[in-house]
Amino acid sequence: MRTESCREWRTSLGAYALGQLPAEERAGLEAHLEGCAECRAEAESLRSLGKLMARADPARIVEPAPRPPAHLRERVETTIGAERASERRSRRRRRFGFALGGFATAAAAAVLALVVFGGGGATPPEQQVAFTNLPKGVEIDATLQPHAFGTEIRMYVGGIRSGTLCRVFLRGDDGRLYPAGSFRYRWGNDAEAILSSALDLSRTRAIGVHAGNRTFVAPVGPGGATASVPQLNEEEPT
Amino acid sequence: MSTFTRERDVREAYAAHSGELYGFAVRSLGDAGLAEEAVQETFVRAWRAGERFDPEIGSLRTWLFAILRNVVIDLGRARAARPGVAEGGIEPTVEPFEEALAAWQIEEAMRRIGEDHRRVIFETYYRGRPYAEVAAELGVPEGTVKSRVYYGLRALRVVLEEMGYED
Ligand SMILES: [Zn+2]
Repeated sequence: MRTESCREWRTSLGAYALGQLPAEERAGLEAHLEGCAECRAEAESLRSLGKLMARADPARIVEPAPRPPAHLRERVETTIGAERASERRSRRRRRFGFALGGFATAAAAAVLALVVFGGGGATPPEQQVAFTNLPKGVEIDATLQPHAFGTEIRMYVGGIRSGTLCRVFLRGDDGRLYPAGSFRYRWGNDAEAILSSALDLSRTRAIGVHAGNRTFVAPVGPGGATASVPQLNEEEPT
Repeated sequence: MSTFTRERDVREAYAAHSGELYGFAVRSLGDAGLAEEAVQETFVRAWRAGERFDPEIGSLRTWLFAILRNVVIDLGRARAARPGVAEGGIEPTVEPFEEALAAWQIEEAMRRIGEDHRRVIFETYYRGRPYAEVAAELGVPEGTVKSRVYYGLRALRVVLEEMGYED
């Protein structure tokens, strides 16, 4: 039960718990504690806190807390980005292997033919493009889908510096570059960027992305649609 | 969110806990470079084990500190195995992890409480100075020092609870 005397004694509990209370005051407080469960519980709690406090190194209390250097965050993100990229690669291999196993070889060949000639099947054929030979930790892949307006591009980028501006282009069978829009890579955002170009997928021979000061290009078309790993060329666009 | 599987989870966890993990790693390993290595390895292991994180069982912070514990032990082993460290009969003393963690938590909590509270606890408890002397130095009555010690301890207790201290 809390009484007037509780209020008087309460503020002595800190000094009491730390063993700092003069003898006569301590005797008075202990008399109160005997009859007051509430103050007794508080004294007990503070006393165990006092035991914990004894473990601290006073010199370290007055030192400022060390802060992680700014580059550590980047290191962690880059390392996990690389892990994530290899996970995605193996997941995609599994998925693709499953697709090949699920269709007859002839059916798979038919799908490829649709991609190459841009034919009007019941479901518009997609083409997956994997960028290979990328710097360690970097991953780029794209899915191209033909539409009446041209080509829809869904692109995933990982493992590059957060905030990097990525400008995407397609190269047509005429050798010209067709801009396909841009996006900014944000670390921690797992979404794919959705872009589009007026160039027909059937006329697209390569897809590329300028990311920062680097350019990555992967071939698109008959060669790029096969199960074999597409050849990557890194080149500066004209 | 029930697991630790998205880059966003890592980013949020890093923002919330990297300071504490790093601060403790520095204290425990006594070396900023090793501490960086330990924090990085902790997040990488957490990422790999992400699907096993269950917030029903314990907080993210507790889980990360448990991973850091293993990392620190592994780094300590690697360091001990490195030739030259134990030469000359000098064995590096390694504080047991739980001891170090308890000590670090109270040091960190002391740094986080208000200046008025920290000052009186530091002077009277850690430096063992009489209340009268501290009161004179601060220009306040002795009773004020006494009550600041009490409310300082309460603040310390709250901070420790916020930090997830479990004894
Ligand atoms: Zn009472």
